[in-house]
Amino acid sequence: MIGNFFRLGIRQMNVQLRMRVLSLWSLTLFFTQPALFSAIGMLLARAVGNTRPDLVYTVLGAGIMGMWSGLVFTSTYDIRADRREGTLELIVGSPTPLRRVVGFRSLLNILAGSTSMLAAVAAALFIFDYSFSGINIPGVVISFSLLLPALWCMGIFLANMLAWSRLSGTFVDLLEMPIALLCGFMYPISVLPAWMQQISAVFPIRWGLEALQDALKGSLIDSVLLHKWLIALGVSFVYYLLARWFDRKLHDHIRITGELHSI
Amino acid sequence: MLIPTTDRAIETHSLVKTFHTKHGFLTRTTRSTEAVRGITFHVNKGELFGLLGPNGAGKTTTVKMLSTLLVPTSGSIYIFGQDILQHTREIRKRIGFTFGGAHGLYGRLTAIENLRYFAELYALPPRETHMRITGLLELVGLRDRGNDRVETYSSGMQQRLHLARVLLHDPELIFLDEPTVGIDPVGARELRSTIKQLKNQGKTILLTTHYMAEADELCDRIAIINQGQIIAMDSPASLKTKLTSDAFIELKTSSENLPTVKNVLAQLDPDSEITYNQRAFVWEVNIRTRQPGVVMELLAPLLSSNLIQTLGVRNQTMEDVYVSIIQNGAA
Repeated sequence: MIGNFFRLGIRQMNVQLRMRVLSLWSLTLFFTQPALFSAIGMLLARAVGNTRPDLVYTVLGAGIMGMWSGLVFTSTYDIRADRREGTLELIVGSPTPLRRVVGFRSLLNILAGSTSMLAAVAAALFIFDYSFSGINIPGVVISFSLLLPALWCMGIFLANMLAWSRLSGTFVDLLEMPIALLCGFMYPISVLPAWMQQISAVFPIRWGLEALQDALKGSLIDSVLLHKWLIALGVSFVYYLLARWFDRKLHDHIRITGELHSI
Repeated sequence: MLIPTTDRAIETHSLVKTFHTKHGFLTRTTRSTEAVRGITFHVNKGELFGLLGPNGAGKTTTVKMLSTLLVPTSGSIYIFGQDILQHTREIRKRIGFTFGGAHGLYGRLTAIENLRYFAELYALPPRETHMRITGLLELVGLRDRGNDRVETYSSGMQQRLHLARVLLHDPELIFLDEPTVGIDPVGARELRSTIKQLKNQGKTILLTTHYMAEADELCDRIAIINQGQIIAMDSPASLKTKLTSDAFIELKTSSENLPTVKNVLAQLDPDSEITYNQRAFVWEVNIRTRQPGVVMELLAPLLSSNLIQTLGVRNQTMEDVYVSIIQNGAA
């Protein structure tokens, strides 16, 4: 049973890697774009006289932007592509639940998206001789580890939306930039108006990212950081439950409307 | 109330499927399309059952409901005696389906990788997966191309790979929706031979096709569906004898002699049905008549004076039956 589960996971991720991730488009999205964002951020900061631009918002922001864009495009593109290629029907019509397939694929998308962070950091290190001193390494590791499930839960939620209706693709695409702005990818969340901060509280990425930003700035593991970790976990879990609920509804809905194939 | 029996692979009762589509931007209106309108039929275990009908008749919608991909608006479906809505997952393990065309495969993966992927979806053990993939690629004649990317395959090869995919988990009931569409005659013949082998192995098969000769050759029973309703259902032989006592006469003539032939045929009774098909420089004329003797008497002099090249009486084909049923309604 457990063996089947992991074999399914490996096979799903293998197909995902071969079909979607290892393409010039994806590599640009995951790697080149964040490195460019990071470099441009550093250059702009230097141009205005800041010789040591803020690592957290310039480099981390570029990395998280790549991860998020990658997640939105790959998680939603997968369903669209399967629908177009006629494989969505075959997946739904098999004994394996669609949520398991989507779950493993989103996991690979997140792991592939992590290369965005590496690209952004590499640009800072090798082009701008940036040094990473004074960071809270355990805090960074834990915060980053919490950021991954936060992204994953949002990924499976968005993928379900795409499976629900052919028309939801455009809506999901439109979410990319607003969520990046609301979650403070490239600036402190505190600069946003209070009402925007309240909206951003419903996104688990905001809490995982804030914790990561704090840890990178050298904050100790104190109650504030713990509080953010707990919220990140809690909101991620809510998204997971929503995705599960959505998945159950989805299975009946798509078989009633006949939206499993492309027109 | 339908009482399902386990000796039947498929049993449907008053099956209806209505699709609702929304139109308009500011004022949304809902349009309903009744794709299937009260279909009742059964397929026995081990039977090869054909579903024929024109485009948009409701064949694919019916197959999708039977294969758990669509939920019926009303009516009931039992697969091996199990209600399809209550035992969806169990039923999925026992059925296999394919919808014709080039869709349903991952082009950038090889045939073997595609089959491994789908084997995982059916939770096949790794050792069995390997053995089955080897055997199935042999069965569908793709053993030498197993490591090639599917995007390099011809449509015939892709269709054969679809069949291998369907058979991966050794399903008892197989749905083949237009499996020979887009395949060259040799490939189609090979595929038909494979379908016969599957039937001989005891598989139950539901086949939809546009090719009447294929249905005639393969199917134990046929249902003809039009505008969402079954309008005829029987064995091919019974359908052919039951539907008409008309005779079918065929002749071939050249373009220059066609007006003479037409003049002669104008003398036939008005109930006779005549169709003309041009094949390069030759015209093929088909006459459906209740008076074959009269027709042959009229045409024999044309044959002896070389105004027509061939003349003969042929048996009624499934295509004749099909055209007759679709044009005239229920049999």
